[in-house]
Amino acid sequence: MSRIVKSREFLVLVLLVAMILAVSTVNKAVLRPITLINIANSSLFLMLIALGQMFVILTRGIDVSVGAIAGLSAVVFGFALNAGLPLPLAMVTALLTGTACGMVNAAGIVLAGIPPIIMTLGTLGIYRGLMRVLTGGSWIESIPHNIKALAVTRILNVPLMVWGVGALVILVAILMHKIRWTRNFYAVGDNSEGAYLLGINTRLTRFVAFTLAGLFSGAAAIVFVGQIGFVPMQTGDGQELKAIAAVVLGGVSLMGGTGSVWSAVIGALFLTAVDSMMIFLRIPGSWNNAVAGAVLLLVVVMDYMIRRGAQRRRLAARAAEMLRADDTDDGAGGSKSGGRSGATAGAAGPVGGEVRP
Amino acid sequence: MAPAAAQMPDQPGTSGAPLVALRGIWKVFESVTVLRGIDFDIRPGEVHALLGGNGSGKSTMVKILSGAYQPTAGRIEVGGRAEVLAHPSEAHAKGIYMVPQEPHIFPNLTVLENLVTGLEGERAEIRRRAGEVAREIGLNVDFNAPGGTLSIANQQLVEIARGLMRNARVLILDEPTSSLTRHEVESLAAQVRALTRRGIGILFISHRLDEVLEMSDRVSVLRDGRFVLSAPTAGLTADRLVEAMLPEDFDNGNGNGNGMGKGRSAPPPDAQGNRPSPAPVLEVRNLSSLNFSDVGFSVHAGEVVGISGVVGAGRTELAEAIYGLDQTAQGEVVIAGTPAPHRSPRISQELGLSYVPEDRHAFGLFLTLPTTHTVSASLMALRGARFMKPAQEISLTRRFVERLRIKLASPLQPVRTLSGGNQQKIVLARTLAPEPKVVILDEPTRGIDARARQDVYRLIRELTAAGMGVVVISSEVSEIAEVSDRVLIMRRGRLEEMPPGPVEVDHIAAATFGEAASSGEPGGGRA
Repeated sequence: MSRIVKSREFLVLVLLVAMILAVSTVNKAVLRPITLINIANSSLFLMLIALGQMFVILTRGIDVSVGAIAGLSAVVFGFALNAGLPLPLAMVTALLTGTACGMVNAAGIVLAGIPPIIMTLGTLGIYRGLMRVLTGGSWIESIPHNIKALAVTRILNVPLMVWGVGALVILVAILMHKIRWTRNFYAVGDNSEGAYLLGINTRLTRFVAFTLAGLFSGAAAIVFVGQIGFVPMQTGDGQELKAIAAVVLGGVSLMGGTGSVWSAVIGALFLTAVDSMMIFLRIPGSWNNAVAGAVLLLVVVMDYMIRRGAQRRRLAARAAEMLRADDTDDGAGGSKSGGRSGATAGAAGPVGGEVRP
Repeated sequence: MAPAAAQMPDQPGTSGAPLVALRGIWKVFESVTVLRGIDFDIRPGEVHALLGGNGSGKSTMVKILSGAYQPTAGRIEVGGRAEVLAHPSEAHAKGIYMVPQEPHIFPNLTVLENLVTGLEGERAEIRRRAGEVAREIGLNVDFNAPGGTLSIANQQLVEIARGLMRNARVLILDEPTSSLTRHEVESLAAQVRALTRRGIGILFISHRLDEVLEMSDRVSVLRDGRFVLSAPTAGLTADRLVEAMLPEDFDNGNGNGNGMGKGRSAPPPDAQGNRPSPAPVLEVRNLSSLNFSDVGFSVHAGEVVGISGVVGAGRTELAEAIYGLDQTAQGEVVIAGTPAPHRSPRISQELGLSYVPEDRHAFGLFLTLPTTHTVSASLMALRGARFMKPAQEISLTRRFVERLRIKLASPLQPVRTLSGGNQQKIVLARTLAPEPKVVILDEPTRGIDARARQDVYRLIRELTAAGMGVVVISSEVSEIAEVSDRVLIMRRGRLEEMPPGPVEVDHIAAATFGEAASSGEPGGGRA
């Protein structure tokens, strides 16, 4: 329990609730269920690509092509629907497109050894370029209405898509917990050489991470097309950076090895909520990006200060313990490595105080 | 001093078929031949120590044994059968596990996850086994704490546990003691003995000859890719080992890296503490911080002050506070006669104080740039120089290469390609290029071989002869005894001066490891 309370995810969740409550003092309408449902609904696209991004960053990689993959998948999805493919088959096409794009990234990074930032910057251009080549630069409209029905259908007044993505998130969280192999994402990001030496297939792990980023971007494309009913050229533009911001906000360290599914979920909700709050505060939308950026910095720095404070207290306690233990410990001779060595850990360990940027 | 006398009465290692054997192994990298047909084996229940200087082929041999490298020629036998170890995990599967010098810990995963990562099988069963193994080897820590909070000693136990959970028959311990305190070394030695009783064979790599003599059953010495000595430990002496490790033409007149009980060959002119009053080059008064309190000492031109202390005693923190890396410390520091109330590395260097930390990589070795860049960096920064002619840089580098006997094909070679000992010498060259008045060396010989060690000691003597003040911080008592004119003991955050007189290793050891300084007994009885 205390571990949950101390987690970054929890901190951001508390801030999210605090923010909504604070805004409600100015404008009561924020607390209406429909507002909260709408926030969740508009966060779905970002949440899905953030989820894919999370796998990559856990392994200490980065993927700046996820927005473009979502865009390209949306285009393919639109074509498939307009060609008369049944909805489920069209969805599979979109997912396959995303997965294929992710695998191209993975192949370049893992097999050819191209640094992730360079490889995905390259494919960002390629995927976005392909969107234009495929469509000739025009939007895809006149998409059959059955896809929009997905977005309009509501159960208990909550859109079907929210239920769907919610179920997916929970499924992923359960799988991450149940399938031990998923710990490899953490191990590879935390200490790649150590993971390799312990027999973990680090290359396969990274390959899967980038492939998953593509798959989830394909899923995001389905949500996007379902929600707006056409495919503009800007689909997914700039979302890669927003997805990175969301997971970092939620506690995924760019140094790899920390974070969870909930980081992506809460991070995406938070960033979307910031946009909504601006509306309720009647602040012009042009402020959105600046405020979201400032919030990101604020949370990361706050988290860092809290952790550093905790580490300092721990160190001071250890120093005191060491001074006390020293007199009694020495006489005993070959003491077990427990008591005294604990005192050196604080100085040696690269723990806690690190900023998770 | 005859540490070899403490040999185990029975020789478990001399019987039994080898667990693993290297037969006629050659390794050639591009055009460099590193191993020249070596034979080596590890038998059940023995500790086989491997010694060798930098570039002797030691680490290459270990990498072949642990599956990280493939031999160019020759074969590896496991349990008598020829095997190919194509990957570390194949070595694991065949019962060979290497505990690296820097344990591979996942700082953000829990201790339990650190133990079980990479293992297949029923989860509950693996967890149960992890608990069992941890208890056996004395790893008493919270399994839910993050791996990053473990001390180095416990990190090593985690690595050993990983090996045992993979049913390792052979454990390779690569310099396991280099960052342990005396207590931890003793407890590790006890663990090693317990492991050998279970029939596990240990390959023990260390630069510390006293530990090798104390803990091993057999010793093999590698030099230039060949074994020059391979014999039961009983009957060997530290001198014999050093002799084997050094190249034939080396002048071994002045002691050895282990130098137990030997003082300096040339004691300083005034060993009685009443110097002919040259102004101190460094004075520290009432300096306190989180890790130490009320520390005061001074260093005069031309003397070596040794600070002895175990890891965690506050030695490094003290050095960092003096140098200005830790700006929260309270107290007075006077560098070359100039009070320096507000210090930063830059200010300290301008006043004439330099510091070489324990972790050489953290201190601006430019690994991929030509060596000349590292050597000239401090000098240029201090002079505010924007340009230095390449020819000047090269001749500056050449001067130090000669003085420090750095093994270097060309001054333009990237530092990354040099061995550990040579990298350490490059850091020293870099620090000394601006000609500081006083320099603090933190663990100057950590992880480097006996010969490079002697070069560093010789350099320290040359520096003091030229009028520089030197502070040497070390957890190796024999090193402190070897180089120091005066010895200070750092214990529990406090600094005490040893009484004046000849520098004796036993007295330093006693004071450092926590017994009364007046007692003649070395700290913590030898096992």
